Parts: sequence; structure tokens; C-alpha cells
Amino acid sequence: MKGILTLITLSGALSGAAAATSYPLTITDDLGRKVILKTEPKRIISVLPSTSETVCALGLCDRLVGVDDYSDYPQQVTKLPKVGGLYNPNIEAMVALKPDVVLVSQYGKLAEPLTQAGVTVIAVNPETYDEVFSKTLLLGKILNRETQARNLVAKIKGDIARVEILTKNAVRKPTAYFEIDPTPYSIGPNSFMGVLLTKAGARNIIPASMGDFPKVDPEFIVKANPQLILGVDAKTAGARPGWSGISALKAGKVKDIPTELNTMLGRPGPRLGQALMGLAKLIHPELFR
Amino acid sequence: MQAAAPRRGLGVGLGTLLLAALLLAAVVLGTGLGSVTIPPGEVLGALWRGVTRQALEGNDVIVWQIRLPRVVMGALVGASLSVCGGAFQGVFRNPLADPYLLGVASGSALGATVAIVAGWPRALIPVSALLTALVAVACTLSLAREGRRFPPTRLILAGVVVGSVLSAATTALILRGEDRARQVLAYTLGDLGFSGWRDVLTVLPYAALGCGALLLLARALDTLQLGELTARSLGVPVERLRLIAVIAASLATAGAVAYVGVIGFVGLIVPHMIRLAFGPGHRTLLPLSALLGGALLVGADLLARTTPLSQVGIVTTLLGGPFFLWLLRKERHD
Repeated sequence: MKGILTLITLSGALSGAAAATSYPLTITDDLGRKVILKTEPKRIISVLPSTSETVCALGLCDRLVGVDDYSDYPQQVTKLPKVGGLYNPNIEAMVALKPDVVLVSQYGKLAEPLTQAGVTVIAVNPETYDEVFSKTLLLGKILNRETQARNLVAKIKGDIARVEILTKNAVRKPTAYFEIDPTPYSIGPNSFMGVLLTKAGARNIIPASMGDFPKVDPEFIVKANPQLILGVDAKTAGARPGWSGISALKAGKVKDIPTELNTMLGRPGPRLGQALMGLAKLIHPELFR
Repeated sequence: MQAAAPRRGLGVGLGTLLLAALLLAAVVLGTGLGSVTIPPGEVLGALWRGVTRQALEGNDVIVWQIRLPRVVMGALVGASLSVCGGAFQGVFRNPLADPYLLGVASGSALGATVAIVAGWPRALIPVSALLTALVAVACTLSLAREGRRFPPTRLILAGVVVGSVLSAATTALILRGEDRARQVLAYTLGDLGFSGWRDVLTVLPYAALGCGALLLLARALDTLQLGELTARSLGVPVERLRLIAVIAASLATAGAVAYVGVIGFVGLIVPHMIRLAFGPGHRTLLPLSALLGGALLVGADLLARTTPLSQVGIVTTLLGGPFFLWLLRKERHD
């Protein structure tokens, strides 16, 4: 296993040696805007926690000059100037940092005011499982780290493969309900988290037809009778009307998600493999003894 | 408010019967239908086993522990809001008055938001909502107070001001606790989601106490419609009547809002419908509003859980808004 991975990494490094981004670079970003980057960005602001993680994983943590309030990984970024959150972005602070590029999500309406202030803005917005890889490669291209991006993608895929080898052959895959919010909201199988749930060796009770982040009628959950409930603590679940008879509660298979794992699961970024590992350990502790 | 004579001609007895039938129909539909399809025979069996306290099997849990308490809660909340709406409109002789006028809704929403953002257990959310709701009413009343009197216009203005300030605080909190925005949103749009028998039993005393007191005040409210001076000369203690009615209505409203969130328009619309059909007398208006309000909310919640509208408050606002506009136009033409 290790040998294969080294080989992948090595071949990636060799094939990528020649590829360097040539500037000026024209790309169409996730807001459908045509953006021209004149030179390789040396001063970067990221306003998306997963993008901050990816930039650092590409080895460019020291080029970050500012991040949003929620970026907290790796530890290095916590020391950087904060430029606000999705609803309260500090545009003045961003302009004052004189960035070569601001990497935004498709939400938050930052592109227009920043562009008018003469700052280059690129929206890179990974949302699905596959986009984690395509957007990592895109960031590699934008930041002239294509080789590193390809290696990073290979590494994440390797991490995932290592978990999948174990979970694929799990004897019993429990039916699972994953609650992301006690309203309750859950995750569909095509969402980023839904793909991870399946790969971690669970059968999601939410059908794809309900959407990626559906509000769920409580009686639907009781009817589906999941063998595993994630994202709620046992006490809360047991107190809900009609829930005490659900298989998961009877078998004591109700597990809250630890905070750090929850953060990783919410970020379509380079810690995808680790997130999957954490989830798989919750679902199939017997495979990781 | 003009004294609309009972010209519609619908007898009160017949009306009571019709509305009771409507409420029953809503309860039957609400219990029989849902996102999980359960044949009518099975629903009846589940109800029987629930009532006779037999062991619940198969889909029984869905019918007896999820749907029925949710439907009962809907009826209870709809009835409470409508009775309170009718009473507020009578107390202030203002057709636009409703349970949210005095900042009860904004107060509850703020309390719930504080509890949700602070991550308190679900059981504490309504308690916190109730406390802030009562504080909000107290603020409104003390702002509006002029000596021993509460002039209607001052009261409405004070309610709007208190409501706005509390809403601003709620919004600020929502934006701080971003992860929980959905939960807060669900609450501020009204949601009967996890209402169980325990919740029903908790709301029941608030509803019974609040609405019961208002029903007892119905005759005095009728007298008040003749004008403050006339009412006073007929021996009605106007200020005290107002105060008691406001506190009773706030109690019932806060109880309802605390558990299911802010459900708009029911308290405003339902009394108007009853008034159009049966005239303005409060001894008819209040109990019939309870029946219609209950039926309306149960129906709205059925739509909410079986269609993409998803929140009962969205349904009531979508239904209530246009009706209210129609009502405004109609009043002008009359």
C-alpha cells in the first residue's frame, strides 16, 4: 500500500515538473466571471475555511495575508488578520491588506465591491465530493502549484482508498440517519457529506430525491427505522416523540459527532480523508481495532 | 369598527356545528395523511390501541406519538392565537391588532434564539421564550402607560417599537451563531416539527387559562365596543379590563409561540372571517374563532409537512396575506 502511494506521488511529481502556470492567466470562476491574473499571486486572502486549508496544503500558507473569521486550520492561519465572516465581511480590511487575489465562495457578494476597489477576486466554491478534487487542481493552477495540487489530490484519494478498502467489505452496513441540524435537517446521498457517509460504510435512509440538505419530517425517520443515528446525542433523540422505539436507540447506536470531526465534515477540503476516517471509525469501530 | 349586523344570516348554532365539523375533518385528515402513507384502517387501529393503552405496533407509533400530538398541538395553538387575536382586536377596538402587536412574538423569538445559540437543552428553549415574551409585554405596557391608562395608539406604537428592538437583537444573535441559523429560522417561521404529547400537556394550561379568561371577559368586551365613555358609564372598569385581557392573551400567545415558534396571520385573519359570517359579538366571536383557528392551523400544518412549503408559518402567511388584502379592499367598498 505504502509503496503504491509513493509511486503515485513520485510519478505525479515527475509528470508535473514541466507544468508551470503561465501568466497572465484567464479563468472563468465559479460565479461565471472571466478573471485575468497578471502575475503569480504572492499575497492571498482566503474567505473560505476549506480554501484556507487547501492553500496551506499546497505549501502556500506563508502567502496568506488574511483569512475569514472561521478559518482555523492549520494552526498557522489563526495568527493571520481576520477579515470577517460570510455575513459581516470586512471589505476595508481586505483592501488594506493589498492582496494580489482574494479567494471567495460563490456566496456573500464580495466580488463586486472588491473588484471596484481594484482587487482581483476569484470565486472557487467546492461543494460536491468531486469538486474537492477539481477545485484543488484549479487552485493549483491559479497559484502556480499544479504539481503540488496533483500530489495533494493523489494523497487525499489515497487516504480515502485506505478507508474504503476496510469499509467496502464490512459485513453489516447499518442504515443510518445523519442529522446536521435539530430542526431536523439531514443530508442526501449526493451531497458532499452524504458521499462520505456511504463511503464510511453506512446506508443513508435519505433518498437522493429529497435533495442534498433536506428538511425531514420526523415521521419519515421513524418509518425508516435507522440502525444508526449520527449527529444527535442519545438523550435528545430519546426524548423526541415516538423515537424511543427506533432500532438505533434500542441498540444504543446514537452518536453525536465530535466537534473536530464535525468541522472537518463540513469542509470540502484537504482533510477529506481524515474526515472519512473519523466517520468510518464511528460507524465501524470493529474495523479499526 | 362598524357594527356589522348579523346580516349574513348564518345561525350561530348552525355555524358552531359547521365549524366543529370542519375542525374534526381537519383533525381526521391531519392524522390520516403524512409523508408516510398509512391506510385508514391502520390509522384507526393505531388510535384504538393508543386510546386503550395497548402495545403499539408497526406504524402505530407514527400515528399515536407523532401525528396525533402534532395535530392536537396545531389545533391548540391555532385556537389560542385566534382567540387572542379576536380579544386584542376587541380590547383596542383596532381591526389590525393581533397577538404579535405587543411584542410577544418578538420577545419569544429572542428568548428562543438565546437558548438555541447558547446550546441549552430543547426543554429550556420554550421556558426562555416565555420569560422574554413576558418581559417584552411588560416593556410595552410600561412604555405605553399614561397614569392609570393605556391609550390604544400609544400601546400599538410601543408594541411596534419593542418588537423592532427585540427583532434587531434576535437578528444580531442569529448572525453570530451561524451554524444554528436554520434552527432559528425554523422557529421564527413557526414549526410544529417535534411536538409530542408532553409538549401538548405543557401548552394546554397556558391555552386553557388564557383563553378561558378571555371567554369570561367576552360580555365586557362587547360593552367596550360601544365606546370607552359609554362602557365606563355602564360600570365597566375599562383600564382593568384591558390589563387583564392583555395579560390573559399574552399568556396564551406566549405558551403557543414558545413551543411552535412565530406563526403569523392566524390571529389576525380568523376573527375577521368569523366576524364577517356571524357578526361582532365576542360571546360568539371568541369560541367560534377557536374552532376555525384550530382547523386552519391543522390544515396549514398538513400542507407544510406534505408539500415543499415545509413550514407551517409559511403556509399561514401565504394564505393569510392575500385574504387580508381582500379584506382591506372589501372594508373600503362597504
